[in-house]
Amino acid sequence: MRKQSFSLAAVAAGAALALTACGGVQTTAGGGSDSGDYPTGAVNMPVGASAGGSSDLISRQISRGLSDELGGSFPVINKEGANGALAAAEVAKAKPDGSTISVQNASLFAITPLAVPENQVTEISDFDVVQGVSRDDYVLVASKGSGFDSIDSFADADGKVTYGTTGVGTGAQLACALTFKVNQTPAEAIPFDGGAPALTALLGNQVDTACLQVGEAIENIRSGKITPIVVFGPERVDFLPDVPTAQESGLDVEVAQYRFMTVPQGTPQDIQDAIADAMQATFETSEYQDFNEQNNLTPMEISGDEVVAQLDEDKQRYADLVEEYDIDLGDAG
Amino acid sequence: MDFSAFLDGFAVVSQPNNLLYCLIGVVIGMLIGVLPGLGPAATMAILLPIVYNASDPVSAIIMLAGIYYGAQYGGTITSVLLRIPGEASSVVTVFDGFAMAKQGKAGTALGIAAIGSFVGATISIIGLTLLGPLVADFALDFGPPEYAALALLGVLLVATIGNGHTVKALAAAAIGLLLATVGSDTFTSADRYTFGSLNLEDGIDFVVVAMGLFGVGEILYNLEERHGKAHVPAVIANIWPSRKELKQASPAIGRGSLIGFVLGVLPGGGAVMASLAAYAAEKRVAKKPERFGRGAIEGVAGPESANNAAATSSFIPLLTIGIPANASMAMLYAALLVVGVTPGPQLIDERPDLFWGVINSMYIGNLILLLLSIPLVGVFVKILRIRPAILAPITALITILGVYTIRNSVFDIFLMIIFGVIGYIMKKTGFEPGPMVLAFVLGSLIESSFRRSMLIFDGDATGFVTRPISGTILAFVVLVIAMPLIKKAFRRRTPSTDVTSESSTREDSLR
Repeated sequence: MRKQSFSLAAVAAGAALALTACGGVQTTAGGGSDSGDYPTGAVNMPVGASAGGSSDLISRQISRGLSDELGGSFPVINKEGANGALAAAEVAKAKPDGSTISVQNASLFAITPLAVPENQVTEISDFDVVQGVSRDDYVLVASKGSGFDSIDSFADADGKVTYGTTGVGTGAQLACALTFKVNQTPAEAIPFDGGAPALTALLGNQVDTACLQVGEAIENIRSGKITPIVVFGPERVDFLPDVPTAQESGLDVEVAQYRFMTVPQGTPQDIQDAIADAMQATFETSEYQDFNEQNNLTPMEISGDEVVAQLDEDKQRYADLVEEYDIDLGDAG
Repeated sequence: MDFSAFLDGFAVVSQPNNLLYCLIGVVIGMLIGVLPGLGPAATMAILLPIVYNASDPVSAIIMLAGIYYGAQYGGTITSVLLRIPGEASSVVTVFDGFAMAKQGKAGTALGIAAIGSFVGATISIIGLTLLGPLVADFALDFGPPEYAALALLGVLLVATIGNGHTVKALAAAAIGLLLATVGSDTFTSADRYTFGSLNLEDGIDFVVVAMGLFGVGEILYNLEERHGKAHVPAVIANIWPSRKELKQASPAIGRGSLIGFVLGVLPGGGAVMASLAAYAAEKRVAKKPERFGRGAIEGVAGPESANNAAATSSFIPLLTIGIPANASMAMLYAALLVVGVTPGPQLIDERPDLFWGVINSMYIGNLILLLLSIPLVGVFVKILRIRPAILAPITALITILGVYTIRNSVFDIFLMIIFGVIGYIMKKTGFEPGPMVLAFVLGSLIESSFRRSMLIFDGDATGFVTRPISGTILAFVVLVIAMPLIKKAFRRRTPSTDVTSESSTREDSLR
């Protein structure tokens, strides 16, 4: 009997260990200074979001590409928390030897600082930006029940217009808040925990409007269950060619979410180049291009330096706008 | 409903490779369900690349769906045998399931849970097949005010469960509600009880609290209890529920399935509410409510049927309106995107093979799970024969690995150990962790829904009463509170009421 108990216990423990190993928990150091050899071990890719969101999916797609181009494995590790600040802190602290790399979001550096206390602000200067990835546009949509179909129709609103957002300190909140302020429409922000609950509330006419990412809203836009009003990118979105930009509708509002590859500051240039080259090769594959298409992502495959310049410009612009229109992102009720 | 498309769906599933993928999916699901922490969503993320490589993407989707509902079966096993609920919806299973295991009836508990899960899931799939789009519209009528009212009802039900002192249960629930406030305020991003730590910024994860209070607390308690004593292996009298037990449990399975199907459609909190409501309902209708918490078979059958029914009906919002109800559904959403399908209202017309293929695979998958469970119950109950000196470290290992896999955080492991110590102290002093954990889960739902409602109402709280659904729920809340008082008033008027029955009624009403 005792023997059997032991073997059972061993099997249980073994299974537990094996399963955890599948969870992408690999701590092997990678890197090495000779880029020809990069990577020498597993390269961790922490992502500041839970499994299933667009940040996670993009990280996984890039991970596949890097693995195909460079060999070796690039496990994606979900470390959600504080809009991605938790994962960012881990990357900033990691050894700058290429063993930790991470795809990060622009909103963490350009928008979140407007909403959180000073000591929680993540600075882009803690990282080297290797390569731009893609842009994820926001769209303002109205529920069927609200009757709104354009920016001008907000003039007929009686009482406050309610708008759902995907959370405090997100681009969706900033885009919506700016739109209504600039248009001088009395409005109230209703924060939800992410895009899906905000969309649910919009479909159920619980809120009049919402700012969402295009990928979240597009299927219900196509089936006519919600009405798109404007997109917030610099130009129209390929996936919604008939929807004007906010600029075209006469509002000086431009907000975009984009993602880029970062490494801890001080990572050797040859490793950064190896990653950038492998990413560019990945961008050329049809599998990656299909992925962008399916997820309604617009390629933004610019260099790391261009990303940093764009981030600095956006951060300043958002801060100025928020000040000019007296918007407090950290106070939605 | 297009009946021929429905039948074609069975043709899709019965292809040998699809059956194989379905089998693989449910087996993986069941295994990861046993390990708390590594949830179905994370597993689906790891296996997502299979969708790219599979010869037929529909098979891969069938497999991923199988992982999700297979995990619901596995989760019961740790709740019953080790007192570790892996997810919020199996917390209530612990009460009677673990009590039954201690009485040597672990096999019965697991057996009835497997049967209940099968029936619950199957009823729910039939509901999904016939009423899918209709029920989806019902889910949309649930706005923030309805969620606030529902969560309030939930907190009220929390007070009725458990078997200890009511005041102690309420105190534990109050602490649970307070714990839910930890983290960045989701409306103003102001920090609450985070002590400057980014690790607490998003609040405390449910699994950390539940595994600490239940699992680790139990380990610590057992170490003390059994020290020096010779280990007497639990007698495993019967592996399978008897005819009498089946008869006793079947109404509970029926009620649980219906409750689970209806509440499971609601994204966010549906599954927890379903298992909680099913447990409370069983306790209400029981002739001897005091049996609950001491190994009542209905206390396992009801909630287990409910949470499986809820897991199945959470497919409805995804497949009919394109809204993922939870993280696992979000992964399935991602998988469907890879196939080139955006889940939404058109899915059923554009890709009937996929829609019905996936739904019909669940009939088969659940049958496989039931058939797998029968021999496995016999294997799993043997775990109870392992000496505590060996079992305790293994349980500790499972909880630590489980917590770590949620978000790869060592901080969470230490936090869980702290909760373990709290759980140990609670057990020593007669407080029950159940109400605390459930109130913790409902706390954030009640707070955010209430504040969201007040923003929508522009500060006018009468909206809660005038909206039909939230008004009805609130009326029910009032009824639940008033019922025992009214009953008592009636008893008072009857002169024959003697003192003993009077005091026992009071005790019942407090529960």
